[in-house]
Amino acid sequence: MMRVGALVRGDDQSALEVLSLARALGGDAAETYLILAAPAAQHAAAGAARAVVLEGIADADPAQLLAAAQALIGAAPPDVLLIPDGPLFEAVGAQLAGSIDRPAARDVGSVAIEDGRLQIVKGAFGGKAEVTLDAGEGAVLGVRQGAHQADELPQAAPQVLEFAQPAPLLSGRRAVRDASGEDLGRAKVIVSGGRGLGSAEAYRSLREVANLLGGALGASRAAVDEGWASPSQQVGITGQKVAPEVYLAIGISGASQHLSGMSGSKVVIAVNRDDKAPIFAAADVGVVADWQALWPELRRALAGG
Amino acid sequence: MRAIAFVKSILDPEAPPGAIRFDAGKALGDVPQVLGPYEGNALELAVQIAEASQGEFRAVALGGPEQEAGLRKALALGAAQAMRVDVPSGFHDPLDTARQLKAAADALGGADVYLFGRQAGDWDQGVTAGLFAGLAGLPLVPLVQAAEVAGAGLKVRREIAGGYEEGEIAVPCVLSASNGPGTLLRLPKVKDVMLANRKPIELRAGAQSGAGFRVSDLKASVTSRAGRRIEGDLKAQAEGLAQELRRAIPGIGGGA
Repeated sequence: MMRVGALVRGDDQSALEVLSLARALGGDAAETYLILAAPAAQHAAAGAARAVVLEGIADADPAQLLAAAQALIGAAPPDVLLIPDGPLFEAVGAQLAGSIDRPAARDVGSVAIEDGRLQIVKGAFGGKAEVTLDAGEGAVLGVRQGAHQADELPQAAPQVLEFAQPAPLLSGRRAVRDASGEDLGRAKVIVSGGRGLGSAEAYRSLREVANLLGGALGASRAAVDEGWASPSQQVGITGQKVAPEVYLAIGISGASQHLSGMSGSKVVIAVNRDDKAPIFAAADVGVVADWQALWPELRRALAGG
Repeated sequence: MRAIAFVKSILDPEAPPGAIRFDAGKALGDVPQVLGPYEGNALELAVQIAEASQGEFRAVALGGPEQEAGLRKALALGAAQAMRVDVPSGFHDPLDTARQLKAAADALGGADVYLFGRQAGDWDQGVTAGLFAGLAGLPLVPLVQAAEVAGAGLKVRREIAGGYEEGEIAVPCVLSASNGPGTLLRLPKVKDVMLANRKPIELRAGAQSGAGFRVSDLKASVTSRAGRRIEGDLKAQAEGLAQELRRAIPGIGGGA
């Protein structure tokens, strides 16, 4: 019988999805580990069948998160450890796996245990393909956001461990927020722009759209490489993977690397002047138009209520 | 300072849709092998660190002869040595890969800085740097956008949600490189490219364990949605789009 565990931080949607998946695979015996900054009592409802809470984690520093994860899983890690594929996996997932001599994979969609062997499906070739892997008898897996349902989970009173927080990874560190300072991973609406916009000025016009829609501003890698947007705004397989309620893609052609990062969006709306752009095949609603011509009309239409 | 850049050559990710097909667990197509974009970022950091510290860098790749494209580029940019861990082309178990790269690095005498791209564009594993760091017991700095030599260590800039973080780290350490202001790969001089083509690439026999991940199936992704178009002139398109947005995002419009 494979031992299944989940390592999550906080109780956001991706954490609940991973906790639900762990219970689906491991049943009531699934081991869940929470890394939390806030008092444990606030998180008793985080869905942990057997939870251990570490306090004193003030931010997402990789060295501190890794030490916390190692303290939580202890000397007998579960065979399969599930982690939401995002900042937590980026910070600790693979390094934790290496430290316990386990293989690791991320961008994992489906996970199953068949005849005592782990079977996973994950993205490959920049989102152009999906690969099914026989992952043997254990692994640390980064689970794609939006790939699993978040079930109703039983409440539990977690055990709280003392934790001696180590020094951060970088000394003399200084965090610099982008002008927007937005966390795309939590945004309900994302307005993203790509090279098809043609200029930095056109990209900047998307800020007004984002404000109007109550959303955050994202970008394709091409827009980041052009210098119109900062790397932290990049959506894609190697940028942020997002799953908002609405994803509005403007001037984005739809390279597979980008599509992989936003495929979990509930509704995708695309505006592009090229009617053959691949983005239209990945959109629920498409508008073939030049954005700079369309935007004044759209602003009027939205204002007209 | 001594650096090792781990490079990987992949089927050109800019190839048009359909140019790469997937069959019998392999990716096929008449598409050139190129250095992966993030491995290019790692290589650029290796060049910068070697230059600034008056040190040197080496390049290591794992795979078949197709991996020589990236190694030749590293040689053209001044790598003191290039090594290919000789294993069959195709998919490799990530833990096995990290183990073999670590053994190759040890055989080269180790380094102060180990540089990886954040994710190779073929199997999209994105775990090798972390596995390597975990096996070696070294600190890993993820998503590095710039690095410079600062005394006996490095000053690095790394991507975080909503911005970036800067600070210093002692060596030895592992960096996973991302695209950013300090990682755009420079172009080698034509003369150096020609010279690099005549330099030797050291072969190290690979020793795959056969354990770990194995490919059961590989197929093209299906990303299709309904794709309804809003037709008409600009005004009609704008009104249709506004309607869709209002339906999807309750509470917007009307007051702008």
